[in-house]
Amino acid sequence: MAKAFSSLIVGAFGSQKALLGSLAKATPLLLVGLGTVIAFRAKIWNIGQEGQVLAGAMCAYWASLWIGPLPYLIAVAVLVLAGLAGGGVLGLLAGVLKTRFGTSEIISTVMLNYIVIFLLAYLLDGGPWMESGATVAYHQSPPVNAMLEWPTLFGQGAAKLHFGFILALGATALSALLLERTPLGYEIRAFGSNPTALRFRGTDISRLLLVVMLVSGALAGLAGAGELFGTSHRLRAETLLGIGSSGIVVAMVGGLRPSGAMLAALFFGALKSGAIYMRLQSGTPAGLVSAMEGLVLLFFLCAAVATRVHITVRSEAHA
Amino acid sequence: MLELFQGPLFISILAAMVRIATPLLFSAMGELVTQRAGIWNISVEGTMLLGAVVAYVIASSTGSPWLALLVAVLACALLSLILSFVTIVLKSEQFIAGLALNLLASGLTLFWFQTYIIGRDPPKFAGFEAVEIPYLSDIPVLGTVLFSQRVLTYVSFLLPLAVWFFLYRTRYGLEVRCVGENPKALDVKGLSVGGRQCLAIMFGSVMSGFGGAFLMLGYSDRFVPDLIAGRGWLVVVAIIAGNWMPFRVVGAIFIFALLEAIGIHAQVVGVSIPHHVFLVLPYVASLVLLAGLRSRTHQPVALGIPYRRE
Repeated sequence: MAKAFSSLIVGAFGSQKALLGSLAKATPLLLVGLGTVIAFRAKIWNIGQEGQVLAGAMCAYWASLWIGPLPYLIAVAVLVLAGLAGGGVLGLLAGVLKTRFGTSEIISTVMLNYIVIFLLAYLLDGGPWMESGATVAYHQSPPVNAMLEWPTLFGQGAAKLHFGFILALGATALSALLLERTPLGYEIRAFGSNPTALRFRGTDISRLLLVVMLVSGALAGLAGAGELFGTSHRLRAETLLGIGSSGIVVAMVGGLRPSGAMLAALFFGALKSGAIYMRLQSGTPAGLVSAMEGLVLLFFLCAAVATRVHITVRSEAHA
Repeated sequence: MLELFQGPLFISILAAMVRIATPLLFSAMGELVTQRAGIWNISVEGTMLLGAVVAYVIASSTGSPWLALLVAVLACALLSLILSFVTIVLKSEQFIAGLALNLLASGLTLFWFQTYIIGRDPPKFAGFEAVEIPYLSDIPVLGTVLFSQRVLTYVSFLLPLAVWFFLYRTRYGLEVRCVGENPKALDVKGLSVGGRQCLAIMFGSVMSGFGGAFLMLGYSDRFVPDLIAGRGWLVVVAIIAGNWMPFRVVGAIFIFALLEAIGIHAQVVGVSIPHHVFLVLPYVASLVLLAGLRSRTHQPVALGIPYRRE
């Protein structure tokens, strides 16, 4: 066990290469985490991040198939937009189900996860995106057009940082600005703490809900597109599944703040990157990481309550 | 497509539907009691998975499916204590706690699977055998569909009656419903709100344990990490679509079970539609059901709201 954990740490921070790997793993977690922060601050419980990540990657992949010869930067911009759109539309769909039919977003987003997973399975296994000529079904697409791969910032091979990292940092700043400095951000926070008051103020609650679901899904979709065109270069469910649930944990542990989500994403990114090394060194399987995420979330719930109790005790002492 | 609804194949579909409905019925009746006590527990999926894993480990190592069932159910009862602590004692957001348990269960399962099963010959296990009820199983059609099933299936069919009787005809059932509607009233009378919620959560987990264990021992021939495949969520959908009333919940369960049964048989018969279409049907149906059946009149008023004394 000690060997497993020491190789976990070496694999996460032991070298420049390891550090780059950790940052690369943190990139999608941060994007999904930010989307979750925005939704959860409004107490809109979007937990369809798994499906939204897949939808973003699928939409970007689809765009890459029909995209013509475009200047490189414009082509990448189209893929970014396609990723945002894929995740955003899926989030919006759950939002519409809520505003039109009153369906709980907790349930609808999870059901949409399964629907998207099966859609992708169909497309890659017997559907139009299956690698042609493959005798065994690997459940993956052919490699994406090499001309459309996202630019690399540092490193190469398994430990490289693609430009999605810059997008994630930019999204962190924008999310913080949105939540703290804009009228929409005020409405989001107010909807989370006192929806009745917001209703009396005359805010269009349905519109707010749809916008939040759109933005939340879009950020998750961008994470999926980035993983596809920056890291894996093949559309494959296994490389994308798990990012969504990690992103939710990142948002919670980050205290539902963009800055906190950034720190949490770095931590869990390091955990994931270290886990790959750990697996090579000590043979400890990577499933341990997702179990640890669940445990961290549970401990975090307990710790959050402990601090809340502490605060109330202190404020009572002052009063 | 039409050949699915003729003769022996149709009977086979109905028999499969009954078998598929069994784990869903267990979990749904348990979760219904939990929710009527005001606890919005979304960890059904993870609890069923724990039940299935434990059942598999015990059944393959001891060879006794009944011992496996017992241990699986005990494990799920223990797991429920975590949820009770976080939701009743700490009064945290209930759905986050459920989410954490789901993550924990799927992560630990994957860890265990990668460590002990993958790349090796998976241990064999003996599941539950079908028990034909004398005389009744000789009735044409109905005999095959209803009376040549596993013992737990017969139990699961009596369960909705038992839960209905408990909730609407016993004093304790009334108190449990009161916890979900107006916990203060119960507290004022000096009755423990937390105690009843804790027992309701445990009952729900135990029933999900039965569901998960049956799925393993009465339905599957091998273990895969995504064995539950969203059934725990369909159970929650069935409760909402069934407006928190036992027999309507059963109705929704049978819709899901029928769709899955048709899907399995369509694959065997070789219908020209991609089999993914059939796999996805229950999830699409769940959204349609939720959008169509919008009556929430029996939703417990205090569902998901932690009870605090003022």
